[in-house]
Amino acid sequence: MSTKKNQSKLAEKIMSQVKSGQITMKPRWYFVIGSLLLFGGVVALSVGAVFLVNLTVFSLRSHGPMASWRLQLMLESFPWWAPALAATGVILGVNLLKKYDFSYKKNFKLIIISFVLAVLATGFMLDKLGLNDYWQRRGRMRQIYQHLDVGSSYVRPRRRFNF
Amino acid sequence: MFDLSKLSDGEVVEITRTKDKEVYAEVVRRYQEKLMRYAKYLVNDDARAADVVQDAFIKAFVNLNSFDTKRQFSSWIYRIVHNEAINLINKYKKEQPLLEDINFDSGINIEEEYSKKEIIKMVKDCLEEIPLLYREPLGLYFLEEKTYVEISDILRIPTNTVGTRISRAKLVMRKKCQLKKINQN
Repeated sequence: MSTKKNQSKLAEKIMSQVKSGQITMKPRWYFVIGSLLLFGGVVALSVGAVFLVNLTVFSLRSHGPMASWRLQLMLESFPWWAPALAATGVILGVNLLKKYDFSYKKNFKLIIISFVLAVLATGFMLDKLGLNDYWQRRGRMRQIYQHLDVGSSYVRPRRRFNF
Repeated sequence: MFDLSKLSDGEVVEITRTKDKEVYAEVVRRYQEKLMRYAKYLVNDDARAADVVQDAFIKAFVNLNSFDTKRQFSSWIYRIVHNEAINLINKYKKEQPLLEDINFDSGINIEEEYSKKEIIKMVKDCLEEIPLLYREPLGLYFLEEKTYVEISDILRIPTNTVGTRISRAKLVMRKKCQLKKINQN
C-alpha cells in the first residue's frame, strides 16, 4: 500500500514539474546540431590525424640517406608535436566513435584497429603520392614544409605529383 | 481524445513531444514500477532508487526529442536509469565492488539443475549478494524479462558479452545462494 502511495507521489512530483514548466524539453534542432558536431568532430580529427601522420613521414624522409649519422640533428629538429597531435586526434576520434551505437553492436576493438590503420595508411599513401613534395613547392602549406625541411642538406629528387 | 492505453510507447512519446506534454504522465505510469524495481537492485536502497527514477524521468523528458521512435523506448529509458544509478553509486562509493575475485566452475549448467521458476526465485532471494557487474544483466534477464538484444542496448555491451555475463552470473548466484542458506541455517 505504502509503495503504491510513494509511486503516486513520485508521479505527481514529476508531472507537477512538467506542467509548471520547471522542466522543458530541449528542442529537436539542439540534437541535430549535436549529431552534426559529433560527425564533424570525427571527420575533422581523422583528417587532422592523417595530415599529421603524413607530415611525420615527410619529416622522417626529408633527412635523406645516411640519416643515422645525423641522428642528433634529426632528434633536435624533428617536429614531435606532429605525431603527438596525430595520436591525440586518434584518441579523441575513438572517444567520439564510442558515442555511436555501432560501437557496442560491432567488434569495437576491430573498429579501433581499422581506424588507426586507416589513418596511418592514408598518411603514408599521401606521402607516396607525392602530395608533400607538391605542398613543399606550392600553395599555402609551403612555409610549414620548408620549416620542417631546415637542417637537411639532402636534396631529394623531384617526385611526380600523381593526382 | 486519445485512448492512451492502446497506443505504443513510441506513439505516446510522439504525442507528448508534438501535441500535449501532459501525456508524459502515461509514460511515467507505464514505467514507474518497473524502473523502481530495476533501480532498487542497482542501488540496494528504496529512497535512493526513488531519487534515481525521479531524476531519470526528468532527464528523459528534457531529452525526449533525442529519442528515435524507430527504436525501443523501454531500452532507452532503462539506459537512462542505468546511467543515473551508476552516477549515484560512484558518488557514494559505498556499493560493493563491481567485480569480486570469483572462480567460475567450468562444465556446470545451472539450467540442468534447476527449473526456470527456481532460478527466478533464486534471483529474487540472492540478487543483493551478487556483484553489480553480474547482478544487472541477471535481473534484467530473469526479473524484467528482457532479451539479450535489449540488455545489450541498455548496458551498451555486445550481445555475446551479455550472454557471458548472464551465464557467469548464474554460477555466482548459485554459490552465493548456497552460502546464504548455510548462514541462515
